[in-house]
Amino acid sequence: MSGPADDDGPDGGHTSSPDAGRSGETGGRVSDGTRHSTDGGRHSTDGGGRATFEDVDWDDIEATSGSRSPRQIAWLAIIGVYSVGLALDLYARYATAVYTRVVGFLSGADRTAVETPAWVPEPGPAEFAVVGTVDGVDWLWSLTLLVGVFYVAVPLYENPRMTRYYWREFKKNKAAVIALCYLAVIFLIGLVVPRVVSPPAVEPLLQYQPPVWGAVPDTVPIQCVGPVSDGLCHGTWAHPFGTTHQGKDILVSVIYGMEISMQVGLIGMFLQLLIASAVGLSAAYFGGYVDEVLMRYVDIQITFPTFFLYLLVVYLFGGSLFLMIIVFGILGWGGIARIVRSEALQRREEAYVMAAESAGASSRWTIRRHLLPNVSNSVITAATLVIPGLILAEAALAFLGLGDPTIPSWGDIIAAGRSDLDRAWWISTLPGVFLFLTILAFNFLGDALRDALDPRQEAGNNE
Amino acid sequence: MKWYIVRRVAWAGVATLVILTVTFVLMYLTPDTRLLELQFEAAQAGQDPEQVAQAAAEARGLDDPFLVQYADFMRNMLTLNWGWSTTRSQPVMDALTDAIPYSMMYGVPAVVLSTVAGLAIGLYSAVNQYTKTDYVATFFAFFGISIPNFWFAIILLVIFGAWLGWVDILFDPTLAKVDGEFTLGAILSWPNIKQLILPIFVLTTTSVASMMRYARAEALEYVEAEFVKTAKAKGVDERTIVLKHIFRPAAVPLATILVGDLLGIIFVGSYLIEVVFGIPGLGLLSFNAITNQDTALVFGTVFVPTFIAIIGNLAQDIAYVILDPRIDYGDR
Repeated sequence: MSGPADDDGPDGGHTSSPDAGRSGETGGRVSDGTRHSTDGGRHSTDGGGRATFEDVDWDDIEATSGSRSPRQIAWLAIIGVYSVGLALDLYARYATAVYTRVVGFLSGADRTAVETPAWVPEPGPAEFAVVGTVDGVDWLWSLTLLVGVFYVAVPLYENPRMTRYYWREFKKNKAAVIALCYLAVIFLIGLVVPRVVSPPAVEPLLQYQPPVWGAVPDTVPIQCVGPVSDGLCHGTWAHPFGTTHQGKDILVSVIYGMEISMQVGLIGMFLQLLIASAVGLSAAYFGGYVDEVLMRYVDIQITFPTFFLYLLVVYLFGGSLFLMIIVFGILGWGGIARIVRSEALQRREEAYVMAAESAGASSRWTIRRHLLPNVSNSVITAATLVIPGLILAEAALAFLGLGDPTIPSWGDIIAAGRSDLDRAWWISTLPGVFLFLTILAFNFLGDALRDALDPRQEAGNNE
Repeated sequence: MKWYIVRRVAWAGVATLVILTVTFVLMYLTPDTRLLELQFEAAQAGQDPEQVAQAAAEARGLDDPFLVQYADFMRNMLTLNWGWSTTRSQPVMDALTDAIPYSMMYGVPAVVLSTVAGLAIGLYSAVNQYTKTDYVATFFAFFGISIPNFWFAIILLVIFGAWLGWVDILFDPTLAKVDGEFTLGAILSWPNIKQLILPIFVLTTTSVASMMRYARAEALEYVEAEFVKTAKAKGVDERTIVLKHIFRPAAVPLATILVGDLLGIIFVGSYLIEVVFGIPGLGLLSFNAITNQDTALVFGTVFVPTFIAIIGNLAQDIAYVILDPRIDYGDR
């Protein structure tokens, strides 16, 4: 291991813990006993007149640990606003259905005959100021982004030393740095541009325009927007990537596709991460029957190929992006849960967990403060490598026409251009290049993160 | 060990039942599109839609209580009586047995090729870590796992089919048959093999890449092991070290990956490849069943990969305990 990693010992990942801020505040007097038992020895020598472990009034600590840092207050406030908004939206959408069912059930009447009183709104999405209506994917997407900001960006900003260390390790891998820049660009464009530019429109007169650097015989498009010379229609900057057989602008479609791919990859990863950590940590911490039940369930879930389950769901309920994300997010976490469990099983035997338990820490506390931060490295790596699979699956399903028919995903455009390949090669190929590069970039990134974060790989790197 | 195997087999049985049950509940809870269609047709023809629907439901046993329907469903599933395909007008089982050989024609060579090549390249990369060859192999692995295979297949079809004209764009299913029956001679005939080359290549690219990565990572664990150093110090030649001292211990975890991961890649990959190339195998059958709303066939075609996955996982776990004496199978 190199220098900075030694300072933090096995708790290297601790700084990314959501509670890092809090432990700095309340832990001033006592935290060394519970927080870093492995390097407790070093701290106790400079303690001088500090209270020893036995002198500490742990009940008092328990009471004061309720106080929160400004960051946590901000987080709670945002989550509060989010929950209220979500509740309002759910109310607007489902109040009528719930009301008629409940009243119908209670009065024994047919639920279609139940009159709704004035206070029950017409079913439909709630209208919010500024943002308008919000659908299921938007709710998940905004939550994912919020969590990303508060649990990744802010902790990195607050711990510049660890950030610099991670960056130094990460920087060694040039391919990964390029991949990260590429993904950042894709992410930002995908996030901003669809808010400003309207979605690609069908304009049959503008079909088959070639990309700006290309040229096709002028018989291919109905009318050529760009300059025509020697019987060749040249592309224009009006449609830099050309247009499809429906006259949709490919650049705009590709940009819309960026957001969809990012949504599928990141939301799916977030859901998987959440469930996998909860299941894996519980299984490892509680052991016994909890472990047995959870892990045997994981066995079954892993056996059932998610792709085929989604096919069944599409067949029964129709395809939608929301359903796809939910199916892949809720049923694809088995592999990560196994990794979390095996990692947490090792951590559970560490002295700092025993110390926390002897000090009377609750299981929730031990899991959150001691197990979760210490398994986070391998979890993050595994999760990053889940993203390319999700993006690929979404593109494949959209290509088959089993995705969301209402949105322009990369897979859709590739499928749209399939029959035109001999005269309009750009329709299928350009979105395919973006798809390929995005998946490649996530794979590079995941690999680099594993090298930078995963302590088990350390030995191999020194060769 | 016997006790473990018995329990593992029993568990596979439980998993099968659970999956069948979940599917049944899903089917039970969703409105039957065919019934709605019937109602609509009846209304158009001036009949009473309710009456027609009821008659149809009665004929198909849909008005039976939940448990009776469930028992019927399970009995049919377990006796391989998987229903009638309405679009193909034949039993689902017949449709499946007709389609599966087409999938195997390119699936089996792809699995064999990717396993052999993946292991070989992975081992070579691990032994020669951080050399030029290793970087080339790693780059190829990244390419293979990142390229969307349906897109890759389209590009290859355009290049080799449309531009160069080396292969036919349309797949001809009759080439593998003589008088409507599959024969080994016809399957191995050159025209048939020629049209299978691209599908095999596309499927192999994806699976060989992940196989290679795993093989390299597993082998690396042993490259620096004490026993390998000892063997080297005693002057054992390179080949024996790689095959006997590195490959043998690495083979055990690799065996599990082979089944678990490769199976998934192959099944999903073949689905798309068959649609792109127009191979009338299991994937295309399933895809057509979904677009044509052929319920029995949809479930049949989805169950096949699922059951193969269950059996594959079972075989893998049993192989694991037999191959690796260190595994403590007592407390699982």
